[in-house]
Amino acid sequence: MKGSQVAIQNVEKRFGDFQALKNVSLDIKKGEFYSLLGPSGCGKTTLLRIIAGFEDPTAGAVLLDGRDVVPIAANKRPVNTVFQTYALFPHLTVFENVAFPLRLRKLPGAEVSAKVEQFLELVKLPKEGKKLPAQLSGGQKQRVAIARALINEPSVLLLDEPLSALDAKLRQHMLIELDLIHDHIGITFIYVTHDQQEALSVSDRVAVMNEGEVVQVGTPFEIYESPAHPFVAHFIGETNYLSGTVTEVFRDKHVRVDFPDIGTLIVYEDKPLKAGDKVKVTVRPEKIRISLDKPASLAENMNLLQGRVDELIYSGFQSKFFVRVNEKAQFRVFRQHVKFYMDEKAISWKDEVYIWWNDNDGYVVEVGE
Amino acid sequence: MRKNYGPLYAAPMAAWMILFFVIPTAIIFSYSFMTKDMHGGVIYEFTLSAYRALNNPTFFKVAFNTIWVAFAATILMVALAMPASYYMARSKHKNFFLLLIIIPFLTNSMIKIFAWMGVFWIDSGLLNSFLLWAGVIDHPIRFLYNTNAVIVVTAYTYLPFAILPLYTTIDKFDFSLLEAARDLGASKLTATLRILLPNIRGGITTAVLFTFTSAFGNLAIPSLIGGNDSYMLSNFIRHEFNIARNWPLVSSMSVILTIMTTIAVLIFMRLNRSPVEVARENREAVNKPAGSTARAAGTGGAV
Amino acid sequence: MTGAVQSVLGKIKGIMNTGNKPTGKFSLSVFLVVLVFLYLPLAILILNSFNASKSMSWEGFSLRWYNELFFSPSWVSLWKTFGNSAVAALTSATAATVVGTLGAIGLYWYRFRAKKAIQIAAFMPMLIPEIIIGVSLAMLFASTKLPMSLFTVILAHTTFNIPFVLLVVMARLESFDFMIIEAAYDLGATEYQALSKVILPAVFPGIIAAFLIAVTLSLDDFVVAFFVAGPGGSTLPVYLESRLKLGIPPVINALSVVIIAGTVVLAFLSRNIVKYMFHSNK
Repeated sequence: MKGSQVAIQNVEKRFGDFQALKNVSLDIKKGEFYSLLGPSGCGKTTLLRIIAGFEDPTAGAVLLDGRDVVPIAANKRPVNTVFQTYALFPHLTVFENVAFPLRLRKLPGAEVSAKVEQFLELVKLPKEGKKLPAQLSGGQKQRVAIARALINEPSVLLLDEPLSALDAKLRQHMLIELDLIHDHIGITFIYVTHDQQEALSVSDRVAVMNEGEVVQVGTPFEIYESPAHPFVAHFIGETNYLSGTVTEVFRDKHVRVDFPDIGTLIVYEDKPLKAGDKVKVTVRPEKIRISLDKPASLAENMNLLQGRVDELIYSGFQSKFFVRVNEKAQFRVFRQHVKFYMDEKAISWKDEVYIWWNDNDGYVVEVGE
Repeated sequence: MRKNYGPLYAAPMAAWMILFFVIPTAIIFSYSFMTKDMHGGVIYEFTLSAYRALNNPTFFKVAFNTIWVAFAATILMVALAMPASYYMARSKHKNFFLLLIIIPFLTNSMIKIFAWMGVFWIDSGLLNSFLLWAGVIDHPIRFLYNTNAVIVVTAYTYLPFAILPLYTTIDKFDFSLLEAARDLGASKLTATLRILLPNIRGGITTAVLFTFTSAFGNLAIPSLIGGNDSYMLSNFIRHEFNIARNWPLVSSMSVILTIMTTIAVLIFMRLNRSPVEVARENREAVNKPAGSTARAAGTGGAV
Repeated sequence: MTGAVQSVLGKIKGIMNTGNKPTGKFSLSVFLVVLVFLYLPLAILILNSFNASKSMSWEGFSLRWYNELFFSPSWVSLWKTFGNSAVAALTSATAATVVGTLGAIGLYWYRFRAKKAIQIAAFMPMLIPEIIIGVSLAMLFASTKLPMSLFTVILAHTTFNIPFVLLVVMARLESFDFMIIEAAYDLGATEYQALSKVILPAVFPGIIAAFLIAVTLSLDDFVVAFFVAGPGGSTLPVYLESRLKLGIPPVINALSVVIIAGTVVLAFLSRNIVKYMFHSNK
C-alpha cells in the first residue's frame, strides 16, 4: 500500500497562555482516510499545520514512517496540503498552478505537460488549464487545489476543511470524488473537518477532538453507535441525554437505571457498572419508534414510554418529534418517511403518543459517583 | 518549520529610515538646545536660547497664522469634499468622475499655484477681468499676497486629497442603511448625521490628516501667494536657514512645528482613528496567521 | 437669475443622469462647484498658453510660447532642472519601491521584535510636515560634509517615498490570502522561490502603483528639494518657484500644458492607484 504511516506522539502546542494541543497521540495507518473532527477551536487545524510543518510542536514528535519530521522544513516534507481557502496563486493559470511544484524541480516541459494533464484529468478539469483562478467556480478551484497538492506525489495529503466554502450539494459531490481519488491513488489522507457528516461518510477512522484533546478514535460506526464520551455523543449527531442511577445489573450486559423524572429503563452496559453508580445515558432519536397506538405486544427488551408531541418538524425525508414525557423530560424522535402513504395514522401536534426502543440502543456514556 | 525572514526583508528599510529619518530628527532635536555658530552650524554648548528666542510676538503671530491657514483650508476642503464625494459615489458615472478628480490630484503643485497666480493676477488676471467686466469694481483689486489667497490656493491644491479618501469610503458605504433609517422615521438630515457620518469616519480622518498636515507645513504656497503679513512657520524656517543661518533657531522651530502637528494629529486621532492606526490594526489581525508563532491566538479561535 | 441657474442645473442633471438613485440637488451642486473650482484655473492656463499676447488679455491664437519654451536659449536652464527632476524621480522611485516593497513583505507577513518600531519609523515621515524632512536632512548632509547635489535630492526623495510605497504595497498584500505563501512552501518552494515566483508576481500591480505614486510625489516636491539640492542639482519645482517669485512668464503656461498632458496620460494609466492609496478598511 502507498502512503506513509503517521505517528503523532505526545504532541503539545502552546500559544502563549493558550494550550491549543494537550498531549495528543495518534497512529495513522498507511493509506488510511483519517479524519480529525471537532468544533472550531478544538486544535484540529493546529495539529494539521504541525504535520505540514507550518508550526512546530511545543513538545512531542511527529513521525513519518518512523522518522521524526519536526526538524524538517515544510518545503522539504513529503506532505502536501489542500487549503481551506484553496490558496491558488492568483497570477498563475490553472495549468501553471498545478505545474508549480514541477517547475520548482525544473522538470522538462514535456514531462510537466504530461503530468499536469494527467492530474487535471484526475480532478476532471482537463479543459480549464488556460483559465485564471478568478475565472473558476468554487468547486473548480477546489479541484485545482487538490490536483496541485497531489502532483508532487506526496505520501500524505492533508486536507484542511477543504469543502467548507462550497454549498451543500457541491459538498456532497466533492466528498464522493475525494473518496474516489483516495481509492485511486491510495495515499494517506488526513482530513480536518467540523462537519460530522463529512467525517462519517468518507473516513476509515475518525479522531474526535475537543479543547486540544483527542476524545475518541474509532471507525465512523464506532464513533456514532458507541460514543465513549458525552462530548462525542453530543457532537456527533443528535441524541437524547439522560442522567440516572443504576439499580440492578442483570442478564448479560444489561442494567436497570432509575431516571428520577422518567422511571426505570433498561440500558446496555459496555462498561463495568454496579448498583448505585450514577450514569449518563444516550439514546439516538432515530432508534426510537413512535406511534399513536400502544404497540400490541412488546418484547421484554423494549423500553416503552408515553408522552405528548410538543413540537413537530417536517423535513422531507423525515420528521422530527419532540415528545414530552413529563414536565422535566423531553425526547427527540426521528421517523423516516419510508412510504408516501403511511399505514399508520399521521401524528400531529399535541397528539398523545407511545415511544419505545430496544434496550441495546440505550448507551452509557459516562459513569459518575 | 521555516525560518523567520521578516527581519531580513525589513532590514534595508529599517536601515534607511534610521539613517535618513531617525538620525536627522535626533540631530534637529539636539541642535535646538545648542548655541548658534555665526557661520551656520552649531557650537556644542547647551542652551535654551533657541527656545527663548521663540518667545516673541512675531513668532506667535506666525504660529497663529499657520494654524489659522491650515484650519481654514481644511474646513473649506472637507466642506466641499463631503457632498462632492457623496455625489460621486452615488453616481452612475463614478469612474469618469473619479478620473476627473485624479487628474488635478496628480497635477504638479507648482503648476496649480501658477494657475492661481494667473487667476488672481492684478493686471488682466481672470478674476479682475471678470469683476471689471461685470461692473462690480472700477479698479483692479490686489487679490494676491495675503492670507485669504493662501487659504484658497491651499484648499485648491489639496482638495483632491480630501475627496479621494472620502470617495473610497463612501463608495463602500451600504446606502440601504440610509433607506432603513428613513424607513424608521429619520429625516434626511438626521439619517446623514447619525448613520452616514459615523460610518465614514475612517475616510474623514484620512482626509483631514492629509490636508491638515500638508497645509500646515507648506512652503511654496505662502511663499508665492502670501505676503509679508501671511508668513507661515515654513517661511520663517526658510528665512532663518538660508539668510540668518541660525541653525538652533531653525531646529527649535522645527521641533515646535513637529509638536504642533503631532498634537493636532493626536487630538484628531482621539476623535477618530488614523489611517495608519487602522491599517496597523488590520495588519495585526491578518498577521496572526503569519510567521513563526504568529498563528497564536488566531488558531486558538479558528482551528 | 436663480430660475435660470435652476434650469441650467436641471439640464446638467439630465446630462449627468444618475439613474433612479436618490442623489440630492445639494450634493450635485457642490460637486459642480468643485469641478469648476478645480478645472477653471487649469482651463485659463491652457487657453493662455495659446495666447499671442504677452499679457493675459486675448490677442489671438499663437504657438509662440511653445516655440519659445522648446527652442529659446533663455529656457535652457529650465530644461536642465526638468532633466534633474526626471532623474531624481525615476531613481528615488526605483530605490523606494525596492526598499519599501521588501519592507512591506517583512512587516506584513512576519512577526519579529523590532517590527512595531520599524513600522512607526517608516510611517512617521508621512505625518510630519515635509519641511522638517528637508531641514533635518540638510543638517545631516551638512554635518557629514556630504556636498549638496542632485544625489542628496535623490536620497531625500527616496526617504519620503518609502512610506507611500509601504502603504500601497501593504494595501495590496491585504487583498490576498497569506495561505498562498504557505502553499508555495508546502509545494516545495524555497524562500527565494516563494519570493520570486509567488509573492512578487502577486504583488506586482501594487508595486507598479507604488512606483507611479513615488514618481509623482518626487516630481511634485518643492520644499525638500529646496533645502537639499546643491549647485546644478535643482529640480524643476525649485527652479519654478524662484522664477515665479519675479512674475508669471507666459512660457510657463506652455510648460504647464505639456506637464498636464503628461498627467492626464498618467491618470489614465493609474486609476487604480487611488484604490491602493486610500483603500479604507471596511
